[in-house]
Amino acid sequence: MAALAYTLAAALGLAAVALGVGGMFGWTWTLAVSWLVPLGGLELALDPLGGFFVALVGAMAVPASVYAMGYAHGSRRGVLAYLVFVGAMAVVPLAANVMTFAIAWELMSLASYFLVLHEREARESADAAWAYAVMTHVGLACLLAGMLLLATWTGSVRFADWRLAAPGLAGPARSLAFALLALGFAGKAGVIPLHVWLPLAHPAAPSHVSALMSGVMIKLGVYGLIRVALDWLGGGPPWWGVAVLLAGAVSAVLGVLYALVDHDLKRLLAFHSIENVGIILIGLGAGMLYHGAGLETLALLGLAAALYHTVNHAAFKVLLFLGAGAVVQATGTRDMERMGGLVKRMPWTAACFLVGSAAIAALPPLNGFVSEWLTFVALLQSAAIARPAINLAFAAGIAGLALTSGLAMACFVKAYGITFLALPRSDAAAGAREAGTAMRAGMLVLALACVALGLGPTVVLPALERVAAPLLGLPAPPPRALGDWLTVNVSGGFASLSTLAIAAALGLALVAPLLGLALAGAGSRRRLYETWGCGRLLQTARMEYTATAFSNPFKRVFDFLYRPVKRLDIEFHPESRFFVQRIEWTNPTRSIFEDWLYRPVLDGLHWAARRARAIQSGSANLYLAYILAALLVLLVLA
Amino acid sequence: MTAAANLLTFLGLVVTLLLVWRQSLPGRLRLFVAHSVLLALLAATIGWLAGRPGLVGVGAVFLLVKAWAIPRVLWRIAAGAPVRLVAPGKSAGLALLAAGALVVAAYAIMLPVRAATELPTEGAIPLAFAMALIGLFLCVTGRDAFGHILGFLVLENGIFGFAILATYGLPGIVEAGVFLDVLVIVLIMEAVVVRVRQEHDSIEEERLRELRG
Repeated sequence: MAALAYTLAAALGLAAVALGVGGMFGWTWTLAVSWLVPLGGLELALDPLGGFFVALVGAMAVPASVYAMGYAHGSRRGVLAYLVFVGAMAVVPLAANVMTFAIAWELMSLASYFLVLHEREARESADAAWAYAVMTHVGLACLLAGMLLLATWTGSVRFADWRLAAPGLAGPARSLAFALLALGFAGKAGVIPLHVWLPLAHPAAPSHVSALMSGVMIKLGVYGLIRVALDWLGGGPPWWGVAVLLAGAVSAVLGVLYALVDHDLKRLLAFHSIENVGIILIGLGAGMLYHGAGLETLALLGLAAALYHTVNHAAFKVLLFLGAGAVVQATGTRDMERMGGLVKRMPWTAACFLVGSAAIAALPPLNGFVSEWLTFVALLQSAAIARPAINLAFAAGIAGLALTSGLAMACFVKAYGITFLALPRSDAAAGAREAGTAMRAGMLVLALACVALGLGPTVVLPALERVAAPLLGLPAPPPRALGDWLTVNVSGGFASLSTLAIAAALGLALVAPLLGLALAGAGSRRRLYETWGCGRLLQTARMEYTATAFSNPFKRVFDFLYRPVKRLDIEFHPESRFFVQRIEWTNPTRSIFEDWLYRPVLDGLHWAARRARAIQSGSANLYLAYILAALLVLLVLA
Repeated sequence: MTAAANLLTFLGLVVTLLLVWRQSLPGRLRLFVAHSVLLALLAATIGWLAGRPGLVGVGAVFLLVKAWAIPRVLWRIAAGAPVRLVAPGKSAGLALLAAGALVVAAYAIMLPVRAATELPTEGAIPLAFAMALIGLFLCVTGRDAFGHILGFLVLENGIFGFAILATYGLPGIVEAGVFLDVLVIVLIMEAVVVRVRQEHDSIEEERLRELRG
């Protein structure tokens, strides 16, 4: 039963890929069923941008569903919600009017809410689901407000009519609509400071769902931002682009910084999603600014970089979440400090996770490197816009992106090293077993996709430019060459990259010394001996480097952000204080956003609720008196 | 004929005010029956005045539902109630004063309506509206579930009278629907009240608060 449902989801994913790729290459259609729902009816439309995101949803749903067949062990819980979730995500990019969009968006949110509640017996899951429900509905309120305002001003609930009418709207009206819609979509995308639900909800869901939430669902927030900024409203004043660029830079840097000090494997990945959405937004913001300045080829580059990173992040983040799921299932814990030594016990998972880690850390020749390189190239040409304030925003983006890349590298050295290398830190890790065939198949496909996306930018980039070009008002096939089959050549020779050549060079550098040694006649006799342990006689897992120790230097450097608290708990021997039985030292960090933004807001809400309770006395007489008073007031005023 | 309609409406208002003043349960029930009879007569009078025989029929149905069927149900509710001591010092004077204020408010609110209509019955419109307001006021001040039901019924009677005076009656199908609604509401309320009394030994407002979750 469950296997059938996951097969169905995978088939749905394949269909979505076919549909979406068709849309990317110019197959467009609309489908309107006006009687099905009120306020404009159900209306779907396929265009290149929508097709791109539908294909993305489908392409990620296939490996996740295959993986789920092995992961869920035939458990029926959440199967229906999963199907609805995948289906709704595939419909969101196709929605062509407000009602259709709202239904698909809300179905997606509700289905994922139930999936976050998967382990509903756990207090933690219930809290996470609650936070998620609140944040997603605040976002929905912003979206609906913005959409209804636009519908009122343009006199239509169809997105196609907004495209035509939006340039005629007054500047402040357009900006208000942009702000509301962008807030709503940014909340779904997990942009800081609207990210608080993300590190709670992603770990709570089952891993194939976390993978889709992180890899695909938050991308639909990015989809919305692209639609609003470049399609529905058709560009705007420079501050839109600056806001997106800076929000992206802040999210990227803070996301990776929070990930560094988190030792819950799935939460760490969730924070990296925030970081990567930040990187995507840096590219998008650059594209918006170039578009506003009339530099369409540069805008195309920025937008294509953002789209490329969207695909790449989906590929490696789904892979990493699936790998983390396999690890969590094998060890029964999400705490990295209790893992270790898994590379010997789960070699397939370890290899796939390594590919994902290298990709997210932007190591060439994998896919993360290509899209971050493109983003850099787009940012570095900001001198073409001769406005110092905007150039400054670009500089902030460059600095943020550079810092992020380095920190992400450090973070994944920690994530991979502590989880997979060295000796097992707990019995559970020592007894871990490799994941089943279905789970390995899901991860393997994605690992190959990461390599392919890294080696094939010469094929991928033109396809992405076909998607981006119509948004910028350029003719569908871009009129310029992107280099040959080997090398990507952007901005007329400003920069060029060949990941194939890099891969060949790396391979050669790896093989050459071995070859040289063999030629030089080095001994081929094998000697087996235990690992060198710095001369210590006894080697236990307690002596190993821990994740806490690894991240401590960062904690010290960035202590203004983490504001760590030191808690020292010493238990003395009852006879004498000179003998210590146990020392426990914890060093938790605090979130600026929770303490300074959400806490005051929540306190204010509680205060208002307590005040409002005064009129709720429970007396029917009083309630009836309210009705009478309201009636009289209304009649007198009318 | 206009004078007769005005007189009947005025008498209806007087009975409504008496309902505010009266405390004993059977007494209030009898007053409600009288109120319903007066309004049925009003419907018949206006039906004759306006040459609409349908209104006479509506009056007959009204008499059947409001002066016979519903009072019977109410009597069943009242029969189960323990004899209630009228608390000393709870004077009806203040309530009557408030009801008087509502009559004034009704006149004030209905000024634009009167200015807009040309009907011969326009003089009685504020009186019927005052009946509806006082019905709601009875609901507000009701000390037990019975009081709330009675207040609601008076409110409904007032709206009926108002519709008759202001527009010479609603379409028959609407009136029929309203009658059915009111009858069903009263039956449901009876079931609820009987149930609450079984569970709770009382339907007094003070004790009903204990039902809060």
